[in-house]
Amino acid sequence: TGVVPFVALLLLQRRPVAGRALLLSGSGCPSHGLCRSNVQEQTRRQVAVLNATAQELFSLYLKCQGEPFSSESDKLCNPAGIFFPAFRVNRTSERKEVMVAMYKLFAFLNASLGNITRDQEELNPMAKELLERLHNTTKTTRGLISNLTCLLCKNYNIFQVDVRYGDSSKGKSAFKKKQQGCQVLRKYVQVIGQAARVLLPHLSPS
Amino acid sequence: MFSRWNWVACGFYLVLSICSPDASGGLVQSCGHIIPESPVLALGSNFTALCILNESCLDFGNIYASQIIWKIKNRLVPKEQYREINRTVSSVTFNDTSSLATPLTCNILADGQIEQNIYGITVTVGLPPEKPKNLSCIVHQESRFTYAMTCTWNPGRHTFLDTQFRLRYRWPEQIFPDCIPKDVNNSCTIDDTQFFVNTEIWVEATNALGKAESDPLVVDPIDIVKPLPPQNVSITSGLLPTVLQLCWENWISDAVMTLKFNIRYRIVGSTNWMEVPPEDTASPRTSFSIQGLRPYTEYVFSIRCMKEDGAGYWSDWSEEKTGITIEDQPSKGPPIWRIIDTSQSPACWTVHLIWKALKPHEANGVILQYELTVRDKSSLSSPVKKYNVTSTNHTLQLREGTYEVTLIARNSVGPSPPSVLLIPASNSKAPVKNLRTLPKHDKLWVGWTAPNNYVLKYVIEWCLMSSSSDCNIEWQIVLGDVQGIDLKGIKPFKCYLITVYPLYADGQGSGQSVKAYLKQDRPSKGPTVQTKKVGKAEAVLTWNHLTVEEQNGFIRNYTILYKTIDGNETVVTVDPSKTEYTLSSLTSDTLYTVRMMASTDNGSRTGPDFTFTTQKFGKGEIEAIVVPVCLAFLLIVLLGVLFCFNKRDLIKKHIWPIVPDPSKSNIAQWSPQVPAKHNISSKDQMYPEGSFTDVSVVEIEADDKKSFSEQDLKPFDLLKKEKSTSEGHSSGIGGSSCMSSPRQSVSDSDEGETTQNTSSTVQYSTVVLNGYRDQTPVQVFSRSESTQPLLDSEERSEDHAGGADSTPQRQQYFRQNGGQDETNTDRPCFDKTKQITHANEGDLVGFVQLQISGQSSQPLGLGMEKNTQEAAVSNVLQTCTEGQTVRPETVEENPLSVDEMPKSYLPQTVRQGGYMPQ
Repeated sequence: TGVVPFVALLLLQRRPVAGRALLLSGSGCPSHGLCRSNVQEQTRRQVAVLNATAQELFSLYLKCQGEPFSSESDKLCNPAGIFFPAFRVNRTSERKEVMVAMYKLFAFLNASLGNITRDQEELNPMAKELLERLHNTTKTTRGLISNLTCLLCKNYNIFQVDVRYGDSSKGKSAFKKKQQGCQVLRKYVQVIGQAARVLLPHLSPS
Repeated sequence: MFSRWNWVACGFYLVLSICSPDASGGLVQSCGHIIPESPVLALGSNFTALCILNESCLDFGNIYASQIIWKIKNRLVPKEQYREINRTVSSVTFNDTSSLATPLTCNILADGQIEQNIYGITVTVGLPPEKPKNLSCIVHQESRFTYAMTCTWNPGRHTFLDTQFRLRYRWPEQIFPDCIPKDVNNSCTIDDTQFFVNTEIWVEATNALGKAESDPLVVDPIDIVKPLPPQNVSITSGLLPTVLQLCWENWISDAVMTLKFNIRYRIVGSTNWMEVPPEDTASPRTSFSIQGLRPYTEYVFSIRCMKEDGAGYWSDWSEEKTGITIEDQPSKGPPIWRIIDTSQSPACWTVHLIWKALKPHEANGVILQYELTVRDKSSLSSPVKKYNVTSTNHTLQLREGTYEVTLIARNSVGPSPPSVLLIPASNSKAPVKNLRTLPKHDKLWVGWTAPNNYVLKYVIEWCLMSSSSDCNIEWQIVLGDVQGIDLKGIKPFKCYLITVYPLYADGQGSGQSVKAYLKQDRPSKGPTVQTKKVGKAEAVLTWNHLTVEEQNGFIRNYTILYKTIDGNETVVTVDPSKTEYTLSSLTSDTLYTVRMMASTDNGSRTGPDFTFTTQKFGKGEIEAIVVPVCLAFLLIVLLGVLFCFNKRDLIKKHIWPIVPDPSKSNIAQWSPQVPAKHNISSKDQMYPEGSFTDVSVVEIEADDKKSFSEQDLKPFDLLKKEKSTSEGHSSGIGGSSCMSSPRQSVSDSDEGETTQNTSSTVQYSTVVLNGYRDQTPVQVFSRSESTQPLLDSEERSEDHAGGADSTPQRQQYFRQNGGQDETNTDRPCFDKTKQITHANEGDLVGFVQLQISGQSSQPLGLGMEKNTQEAAVSNVLQTCTEGQTVRPETVEENPLSVDEMPKSYLPQTVRQGGYMPQ
């Protein structure tokens, strides 16, 4: 069935591996009955939720990391040095292209947020709200991936998308973990806004 | 014989084969086994079990499948269900597993009798799980980011087996861990809920007999959310007195879910909620202005929310918050009324103006004061009087006339419209008609028919009637187009007096009153009845009316119930206005029990029992009996008196015979001379005329004793006997006991003997009792001893004293003693007399001694009186000792002085009777 490849996809998202081609085997879409017409709208709402909560998440993250991240966020959280999937689509791009780009983006984000959440559970176990927000954001990206998979499969018969994940933070120092998380989240705030804007015309109810 | 030993050997082997250690493991080796091993069977299905014997048991124990018997528990399975498949296998078949029980055992009969168990299995019977139905889920928001989805379902029938339920859910490309219910089999909660993904949810039920799945429920959890209610609700007053603004915070961001709201509010103290129209709050928001509120009114607000598109569930209502609107001008004037007291003088009124405080929605704020204006409409020149009052009443002293009263209530914002009350000189207008009441649940409806003229308003007064206090008037004003209102606050079982006044533009109508109850009950007590008057056949009963507090309703009638002890009860119904009733046709001299019952429309109550007894005789019956009896008695007495009066001579002859006067007898002519030295006064002086009222005379012929009959002589014998035995009472001589008195005899036995010896001696005695009329009572006891007979022919005229004196040689045995009337029963006198008698008795003893010794008398140690008597006796003795022996037999105390005592024994002449010694 088609379930296994997507499960594999999700499992692989957790791995600190950068660049891994995922194959969607089989000819049918997974759980075809669940790929209903409302998935498009659900996807848009999910992106909207992420966009609405991204800045708060980043701010809270900085707050919870303490100094120097609170005061030196621009310098410490500059995402220039890290990998982040390119999101080179705009409102005029093809829907299929947008969908694929979105898939790559949120597959990366889902994996990165998982790493960040794991690191914060270790570094800031008392930061309940931050952890709660991280959990929710991660869950949302997970649901978003599910919906994108459904859309790609159902609308474009795409069963395979190349995805690249970021570096794993495992074994790094606490500062590096915090900084990596800070850099990812800052980039996430920028990209999610763009994604929301791009996605709006493509996923609006027709 | 061989067969028997053979079977014993087989049994022994069987035991050994069962108990002997296995060569391999040393465990017990069975002679057979059953297949299937511990099956789980569907209820109602058929089932076949096989019992397979080991070959070893066949060889050494001569055990074959034909000897196998099957048992369920201890119950033998009918052999019809057996089947011998071969010599080592036996089967048993059950067409319906509902007849199965555990354990199912395979046994053999060793030697045809000894039952040995080969093997047993446990049989479990149950049902496969049913398909779970009615699966539904709800997502409860637990915090801002936490949602838990709880799904419930109908697990279906009981399977009698261990059945596991699990809630399963998945996304298009992902399946999640199952949710296993804890302690229940019909619900489970998933904590990790993700919105905006179509989630397929289903329930799987599994047991030993199978598996069943519910129909899948595909839902986006965002569509089944029950959000938390809005928080931090606050209320702020607006610029307008009818507006309040409500603000709150939502738990869910609009990015996740847009919400719509319900806002409800109520006035503090009220239970009725009002709701803001849903369409006004159907869009996402965090505040709302509520309009159309009452000024200066405190409201309670609450709000709830749900997903804007209506999918999902409403949240619970939020915490209630209160807010108050700002003040506004009073919307109307206070209702005003008056009570006029003319008790001092009809021309001088004491007017109590009373008005009701405005209701909060009318006052629109705090009423600071009332402005009262009184205008005398009778006199235009009179100034308008104004009063500022803070209470809700004001009393005025007014002259009789027509007045217009205006009242305004003022709060911090402004005044109310004025209320006007016209007080006419008289209530001469038409009253309302057909005033009536009707209870309606907890209200009392009062209705009336309007007068023909146009009425501005009606004033309805009502008050709770009380027997102990004045009627506390409550009132209400309604507009003129109203012809009935509901009175609130009316207590059940209480009597209310309701009066309705119509108010006209130019006057006031007279009031019409009616009494009413909201609800009636039976009286709280019964009347206490008692009798006012009881006769022979009737009784007048009285009672007091029950107080208005005791009535609990309109008394429809009184019922008198009365009966005798063993009679039937009689019931009489009495009009409730009466307080007295006469029971008639009662039985005389009979105890009646009566009680009284007061009845309302809702029941009766009986008072205490009262008993009374009717009289034996009726009025005048006793008089009718007693008066004639008395009259008859008086008549009889009168007739008796007349008869006695007419027959007095005859009575006198029988009762009071004429005793010949000895003094007038012939023998008186030869009576001895009275000693000269005796100081004897004339007979008149001695015995005044009339002092001898009664005289008894016995004539005895002394010489011819035999001439007397025995009858005549008995008294003498009796006398003699009395003297000899006791202090006999002399009853006179010759049986003249009529006037004799119980006097002690002064004669003793010796004397008696003396008398007896002188057989010719005859004793005469006369007892003279009371004096006559106002004369001094003189008691005379005269005794005479004489041997001379008294002859009638010898009676002489009474004046013979001289003759007596002229015959001194003749012995005289006559003695007279004054004494008290012996019929006098006065105890002191009697005692005194008795004492004296005793004394005289002593004296007589002394006298006898004196007589014997010939010496003068001696004091005998008695009292003064005794001595006095003694002295008198001594004188007598001194007089009498010359010639003859004088034997005084009785000495009576004489109330007269000693000097006045008769000093001689001269024959006495009395007016009647009397006698003289012969």
